[in-house]
Amino acid sequence: MQARLSQRLTQVAGALAAAGLFTFLAPAAQADTVRVTVAYYSDQTEPYFKEMAAAFEKANPGNTIKIEMVNWDTLQQKLQTDIAGGSNADLAIIGTRWLLDFVKDDMAEPLDGYMNPTFKGRFIGAFLAPGQIGGKTYGLPIAASARALYYNKATLTKAGFPAGPRTWDEVIAASKKIKAAGGYGFGLQGKEIETDVYWYYSLWTNGGDVVGANGKAAFASPAGIKAATLYKSMIDQGLTQPGVTNYSREDVQNLFKQGRVSMVISAPFLAKQLKKEAPTLQYGIAPVPMGTTHATYAVTDSMVMFKNSKAKATAWKFLDFLFTKAPRVAFTSREGFLPTTREEATAPAFADSDTKAFVSLLPTARFAPTITGWEDTAKAVSDAMQAVYLGKAKPADALRAAAAEADKALGK
Amino acid sequence: MRRSAGARQPSQTRLNPWVLILPSLALALFVIGYPLYNIVFQSVHAVSRFGLIRGFCGLDNFRQVFADPVFLASLVRTVWWTLGVVGGAVLVGLPVALVLNQDFYGRGLARVLVMLPWSVSLTMTAIVWRWAFNDEYGMVNVTLQRLHLISGPVHWLASSTLAFPVEILVGILVSVPFTVTLFLGGLASVPGDIYEAARVEGASSWQQFRRLTLPLLRPFINMAIVLNVIYVFNSFPIIWVMTQGGPSNSTHILVTYLYERGFRLGKPGEAAAVSLIMLLLLFAATALYLKIQPREGGAA
Amino acid sequence: MRAFADRRKLRRSLYCWLALAPLVVIILFPFAVMFLTAVKPPEEVFIYPARWLPSHFRWANFSDMWVATRFGRALENSLLVSLSSMLLAIVVSVPAAYALARATFRGQGAYRQFLLVTQMLSPILLVIGLFRLAAMIHWNGGNLVDTRLSVVVAYAAFNIAFAVWMLSSYFATIPRDLEEAAWLEGCGRARAMLKVFLPLAAPALGVTAIFTFINGWNEFAVVYTLIRSDANKTLTVQITDLVAGRYTVEWHQVMAATLLATLPVSVLFAWLQRYLVKGLALGAVK
Repeated sequence: MQARLSQRLTQVAGALAAAGLFTFLAPAAQADTVRVTVAYYSDQTEPYFKEMAAAFEKANPGNTIKIEMVNWDTLQQKLQTDIAGGSNADLAIIGTRWLLDFVKDDMAEPLDGYMNPTFKGRFIGAFLAPGQIGGKTYGLPIAASARALYYNKATLTKAGFPAGPRTWDEVIAASKKIKAAGGYGFGLQGKEIETDVYWYYSLWTNGGDVVGANGKAAFASPAGIKAATLYKSMIDQGLTQPGVTNYSREDVQNLFKQGRVSMVISAPFLAKQLKKEAPTLQYGIAPVPMGTTHATYAVTDSMVMFKNSKAKATAWKFLDFLFTKAPRVAFTSREGFLPTTREEATAPAFADSDTKAFVSLLPTARFAPTITGWEDTAKAVSDAMQAVYLGKAKPADALRAAAAEADKALGK
Repeated sequence: MRRSAGARQPSQTRLNPWVLILPSLALALFVIGYPLYNIVFQSVHAVSRFGLIRGFCGLDNFRQVFADPVFLASLVRTVWWTLGVVGGAVLVGLPVALVLNQDFYGRGLARVLVMLPWSVSLTMTAIVWRWAFNDEYGMVNVTLQRLHLISGPVHWLASSTLAFPVEILVGILVSVPFTVTLFLGGLASVPGDIYEAARVEGASSWQQFRRLTLPLLRPFINMAIVLNVIYVFNSFPIIWVMTQGGPSNSTHILVTYLYERGFRLGKPGEAAAVSLIMLLLLFAATALYLKIQPREGGAA
Repeated sequence: MRAFADRRKLRRSLYCWLALAPLVVIILFPFAVMFLTAVKPPEEVFIYPARWLPSHFRWANFSDMWVATRFGRALENSLLVSLSSMLLAIVVSVPAAYALARATFRGQGAYRQFLLVTQMLSPILLVIGLFRLAAMIHWNGGNLVDTRLSVVVAYAAFNIAFAVWMLSSYFATIPRDLEEAAWLEGCGRARAMLKVFLPLAAPALGVTAIFTFINGWNEFAVVYTLIRSDANKTLTVQITDLVAGRYTVEWHQVMAATLLATLPVSVLFAWLQRYLVKGLALGAVK
């Protein structure tokens, strides 16, 4: 009995020793798990990232990429909970407008140290810039879009603008004719996220600005009042859909898809939706109507690496992989975004007239500035515009009150 | 049946009530304790957008909150919201429970039908109703127009004049099932024979209700009111989904205001402060309400 | 005699249904909207002018939805979490309710007040603390995050307040004589509890069971925060995920999913509501 036991023990010990020897001799293999928090854009998003994860794992055996999908609505909440609980992922997609807070909290890993000399050159400069703070790169532009005016070719041709309206006066003229024919002319968003941006289209193209060079709120200027009065008068004349403050961007887009509203300002992904959901609708894309200048809004979403990640090297390899040509072309074309790297911009997938129309607007695009208090400013402006749309406040008063609020948040 | 002043206990020792209370107390403390501490902690610190503590700031968060006119407006609106929904739920729930307590054909089916709103999550209910109240393709406008009750689409959620009452009505609708079920439970505790005696003495239905049913139901009515007040005060999905507290903050109640501060404007410290203020308000209100109730034997 | 009593019941039924009719119509309205949208082909959901009825019934929406929401697994999780938290809450609350109903002791007011306070904290911020708590507890090699156990425990704790209050209020209406009679016959305390007392409290137990089950079934914030992997998500989260923050929403699938998710609750309620009858248990004991 004793002998058998000791025999057993020796066997086990031998096996352990052999195993130990093996691991000692084997080359130090990286076996990292990289967790990525991905924001949901469409039903293509998850399959795409899972594909990329699988491809990466194949090329780098032993490593695992775990993708965690989150809705945009709750992304901030999720990130907050994760970070507070110390269990955030290694990489995450965030709205670039949050980058400043990220950096201030010392949570973002500066990426310059990982880049080889040609890495930065991959990117279209305008899109990389928002992800850089204080000269260091923290976020890589994973998704980019700009805004343009979609118009219903049929109704606009009848109204005398076959190539779409170019100025606000033309928008008003066209809308009057469309109203006479029984439809709604210009779709105006008055609810939920980017209500402020929808007004900025008018503000910027009439020569105004949101935040001035001195860092203070600049939208309560004469240009701002003119822009707000423009929208309000359009509502009063029935040139927009009624009940503006009940329409989020999705609601206005739905009206457009139904052919009930003839003009809406939106992003590239709407074109994809139109092809799928309203294939008989003939639409055109024109620049955002101009008042005195051309302008549009461009947005990027960034992928950031957390400073407390324990798998930085592998996480970087994955990032690098994601920003090579094939993965980029796949993502951008499937989601309907704009190319952020030079290589993908040359791909045939982006040679269609829709994408070209958006890309041509980039020179006049304005990004949300990376400053503290931008979200409070956005809320103040949205609140003010809603009050104006409802007729509860005069443009000048509402804008001035909002500017005071914004200044508080901007720290001025 | 013997009625003894001092109950004759079995030969085992008297059970210490604390032993009976302990499991529930421990479980509740365990789960609530740390989160409560966390909220208090965050309310007195400057907290970054992503939940990192940036330093102690005493009562600054509270000061900021009280200085915000939207906070005070939301507070007042929350009182209206709570009164409207709880009042409506109890006023509708009691008669409905009395009806559902009767013995009639299809009672089981009727009870399940009345319970249906409870079977859908609050968020989904709010989403469906928001959809139903959409100006152009919402079924409410479509049906009303079909019935020729309105000539054109009504903009239900476009401004608070209509939106807030609509939200209160939805709130009442989703609170009725819980209230009715609670009352049904209470009504089941009322022994049937007392009505016999009353009927023999010629008491009318209304008198039976007022003198017999109502007092016996009182503990359950209190429960319905207090619990509904607490749940409705904190009820987030309906208003957030339908109007996000807008337009222009005109439908904000404290809990949606809190959410916006904490998860949109990136001020978790202030959100925590609002949460504590809400806790204190509720505590005071319910303590006061329970204090002014006549003392019943043994129950609430 | 029998025919006469039936005629009265028939008349009573008519009045009762008439009285309930307005409420029933309003209740069924959103369900009608949900159902008709759930069976519409996707292209018809947003047509203008909007119509109630679909051109044809597309039952395939339900199977599409089943796959898209991983309904089967989510259903399992919802059932497991709701039933477990219901049982745990009842097991823990019955003794406490008994003590409150039958004994007077110092601190009972404070205990009641404390339980009420547990309901007063807004879940929105509570869940952050819960997450940290779960992350701190070692379990099974990792921590309690992304475990259904953590959700069950949290739900049970949140339901204690209602359970204890409901049960104790009801217990207080049960005359002591009945228990004492059982003790007289040599029944041990525990046996008297199980055989005599609890059956009398069936209505309250029924209400408590329904309440705790539905709370677990429909709850969103806690699951959303604590559960990460698809395999552990409940129905509420999977369905809300279909809607929240998406650029395009497949409404027909969302409505189909919501409808299906209400079935288990309705079944449970239909079964439990039989116990919500006046004097049922008392009569039986006598």
